[in-house]
Amino acid sequence: MTATTPLIEARNLVRRYRTGATDVAALRGVSLTIMPGEFVAIVGASGSGKSTMLHLLGAVDAPDSGQVLLEGRDISQLSDADATRLRLLRIGLVFQRFYLMPTLSALENVELPMAEAGASTTVRRERAKSLLSFVGLGERTDHRPSQLSGGEQQRVAVARALANKPALLLADEPTGELDAATGAALIALLQQLNRDGLTCVLVTHDAALARSAQRVVTMRDGQIVSDERVAEPVA
Amino acid sequence: MRATLAFASLWRHPMRTLLAIFGLAIAAALLIDMVMLATGMRASFKSLLTSRGYELRVTPRGTLPFDTEATVGNAAALVASLRAHPDIERVSPSVGTTVQIASTRTTQSGSAFALGTQPDVQGEYSVLSGRAPSATDSTLREVIANTVLLARLQVSVGDTINVSVGRSAQLRLSEVAERAVIVGEARFLYVPPGLPAISAPLRAVQSLLGEAGRDRISLAMASIRADSGGAAATSARTEAVRTWIEQTHARVTAISTETAIVQVEERLAYFRQLALILGALSLVIGVLLVTTLVSLSVNERLGELAVLRAIGVARSGILHQIMLEGLMLGFAGIAIGLGLGLITARWLNAILRDFPGLPADLDFFVWSPEAAWKSLAMLLVAATLAGAWPAWRASKVRVAQALREEAIG
Amino acid sequence: MILLRFAPALVALLAVGFPVATHAQTDTVIGTPTAPLVPGRAAPAVRGIAIDERIADDHGVVVGDTLRLAAEAGTRGELVRVDAIVRRAADPSEVARSEYRVRLHLDQLQRLTGSEDRVDRFAVALRDSGESVDSALARINHVAFGFRAHASRDVAVESSRTFQVVDRFHRAIGGITIVASAVFLLCILLLKVEERRRAIAALRLAGLSRRTVALSVIAEAAVISVVGSVIGAGLGWVVTLAVNAHYQRLFRTPLTFAVLTPGITLFAVTLSLLLGIVAGALAAWRLVRTPPLVLLGR
Ligand SMILES: Nc1ncnc2c1ncn2[C@@H]1O[C@H](COP(=O)(O)OP(=O)(O)OP(=O)(O)O)[C@@H](O)[C@H]1O
Ligand SMILES: [Mg+2]
Repeated sequence: MTATTPLIEARNLVRRYRTGATDVAALRGVSLTIMPGEFVAIVGASGSGKSTMLHLLGAVDAPDSGQVLLEGRDISQLSDADATRLRLLRIGLVFQRFYLMPTLSALENVELPMAEAGASTTVRRERAKSLLSFVGLGERTDHRPSQLSGGEQQRVAVARALANKPALLLADEPTGELDAATGAALIALLQQLNRDGLTCVLVTHDAALARSAQRVVTMRDGQIVSDERVAEPVA
Repeated sequence: MRATLAFASLWRHPMRTLLAIFGLAIAAALLIDMVMLATGMRASFKSLLTSRGYELRVTPRGTLPFDTEATVGNAAALVASLRAHPDIERVSPSVGTTVQIASTRTTQSGSAFALGTQPDVQGEYSVLSGRAPSATDSTLREVIANTVLLARLQVSVGDTINVSVGRSAQLRLSEVAERAVIVGEARFLYVPPGLPAISAPLRAVQSLLGEAGRDRISLAMASIRADSGGAAATSARTEAVRTWIEQTHARVTAISTETAIVQVEERLAYFRQLALILGALSLVIGVLLVTTLVSLSVNERLGELAVLRAIGVARSGILHQIMLEGLMLGFAGIAIGLGLGLITARWLNAILRDFPGLPADLDFFVWSPEAAWKSLAMLLVAATLAGAWPAWRASKVRVAQALREEAIG
Repeated sequence: MILLRFAPALVALLAVGFPVATHAQTDTVIGTPTAPLVPGRAAPAVRGIAIDERIADDHGVVVGDTLRLAAEAGTRGELVRVDAIVRRAADPSEVARSEYRVRLHLDQLQRLTGSEDRVDRFAVALRDSGESVDSALARINHVAFGFRAHASRDVAVESSRTFQVVDRFHRAIGGITIVASAVFLLCILLLKVEERRRAIAALRLAGLSRRTVALSVIAEAAVISVVGSVIGAGLGWVVTLAVNAHYQRLFRTPLTFAVLTPGITLFAVTLSLLLGIVAGALAAWRLVRTPPLVLLGR
């Protein structure tokens, strides 16, 4: 291992859900270290705690115990406002469903996080356009999400996640609702981003897709059961 | 961007939004009407009372101006005493009675309200055409008539009429009616609509009344000298003069404009309270509509809102956006409601102006900037509050939880 | 269901918005007259009068008290004894008039005011001789000098003008509130059904027919409106009690200001039911036409 500090580090994360009398432990003491520039896939059966893990890494949710360090800083106990600011500026999130604002055009969807961060209209419009061309949608900036295919919507979502130049991209089953070919194209896009230096964490059911990453972490029952390097990631 | 989002989310269900706006418009119209009713009567009555600059009204003790047939005797001495007071600028005495009028040219005749005033100081009518009767007359020679009388008797300015006092049977029997020329047409400020009226110099009407009218008046109006010191000082001086009059002259009551307004308000309290209740109810219903609609749209969009929060939109951002939706609804509703309210107010005003015995110029629904601001402010505050509750709930959405629920569908 | 909270206010609106009903009554003599008012009795040194209940209330005057009565403030007038206290008739044109009243014998008033042998008006009853009121009127007016005869019914019409205006105003306001509440009810019902589009989609997906779903939506809306309007009618009734108590005290009159008649209740309930059905049908029509998956998803 190199001497650089990890980009993100999970220490002994525990997350429980209380529903009535039953107490479900979604995560039971998970530790994981991700270095800058890594492309990590998290796999595991349904209910193994992948999404929960991703939410904790992304400061969307807080652990019951344990710590999450982003660039050496503990982000597990941030106030709501600080966590929000962190998500806006340092973390890009991509979900299984595309979760674009249905009432905004592709361009406006990508502009949204920049507007929230206070960017001027001209700056954010320029950047949104170049991001959309980067993901291959330069011609469709004015379309509403409903006028785009699933794969295209997911590309817009990726462009939106990149809007404020995050340090970390978290994707929760981004290919879940796409066919194999479209899904593969999206993963290729993520790989390209990773090659350009962006750290990516990808949650997926698909073992084959997971092999596109450099590192595959397998979870079961709220614990990490294996953490392997992929000798030769599928391109 | 936020405005775009708010507008777009309202426009997503145009039917629903338009319906809510329509409902809100009706609530707004009702509220505007009721604010106009509640403030209008007072404003209208005040402007009526103060239109000729008389702040005090002196009447036979215990009565309101022209409310009964009571008169005060020894009027000349009373008026002289009032005029001698240093703070009183002008005094306008008047006497009112019912007379029979017959046209000498047409065969028309009928009863009319006759007002004796001193034409040089009178504050009872404004001349529309022709002129006021000559102030020096001590017997009936010239009268000024209102439009109703001219129409009723089919006479015009320049015609001659016979005037007799209804009560004095002998006059009619012996055909000794006084002859007078109509020298002008006037608008009488305090005469109910549809009532024929004439005015002649005070002494002429008193002499027409004979023994019953000798040196008697029904009302004296007094204006207070407006020196330096502003409105508050004038009002204090008015009150001082009022007290002085009542203490020096046991036979009369002095009413200031303020008291008169209070008394009329008491009499018409029913309308004001009705206005208050209906206005409050429509406000409540407006709030209810906005809250229901915005809550509905928030509930439908919890997932979307959670995503917004997840990608870094602050709590306050969500709060603003949702409240903006409530405000937009409010603005649209108010804009339509304003028009609707003005139309219904005119209609309701026309109904209430038929109220018997009220001055023709008294309005119940008065459009004043104050009323407008009041109702607009109330509605906007209501719309803001109505949007605030769902907005607050939306901003409290638990991001991780909502994302999960959305993913499951 | 939340709707239950809204409906009462609307129906209360209906009830309060309705024209005020009034009953004309004659003045009632209250208190015990120690000496009855006998017309034509020889004038005693101190004669008896009847006073308004308001004077009695405001100044603590009781039957038997001696008062000084003068035509003009500051003059001597004469002494009179209170023989009766009279409660005002429930006359709408009296509402909001606050002056006092006393009743005394005609000759006494004429003497007091110096109006000699003059009267303002007198009432004439026709002998049962078959002559019509109109011909009697014409006959009197033909010979009349300095006065005019009017038929009682015309006078009644004239004197009830205040009431008519108020009545017309109430009808207008009532109309407006009914239209307004109808729109409100429709809005809220529609929105509330909209709110459950997911549940309805689930029912449709589970295989229920459009008809069944639509009917259940309509039935629910109808039941809610009826229950709401009945609660509202109850609330309206309480409001009428409060309104009457308040204005009877304010205007010192036995007039009834607001009544909730069975007719009004029926009207309110029927109207709510109709609106419920219309709103339910509209919403159901919109919902069952949309494919369930569209209702569910985005
Ligand atoms: N809000 C909640 N209340 C109760 N239990 C919950 C809640 N959220 C998650 N869980 C439970 O926590 C466990 C982990 O859930 P999680 O969503 O992280 O799994 P996952 O690995 O992402 O599954 P999938 O592959 O199906 O998305 C599951 O057993 C789930 O039932
Ligand atoms: Mg998951």
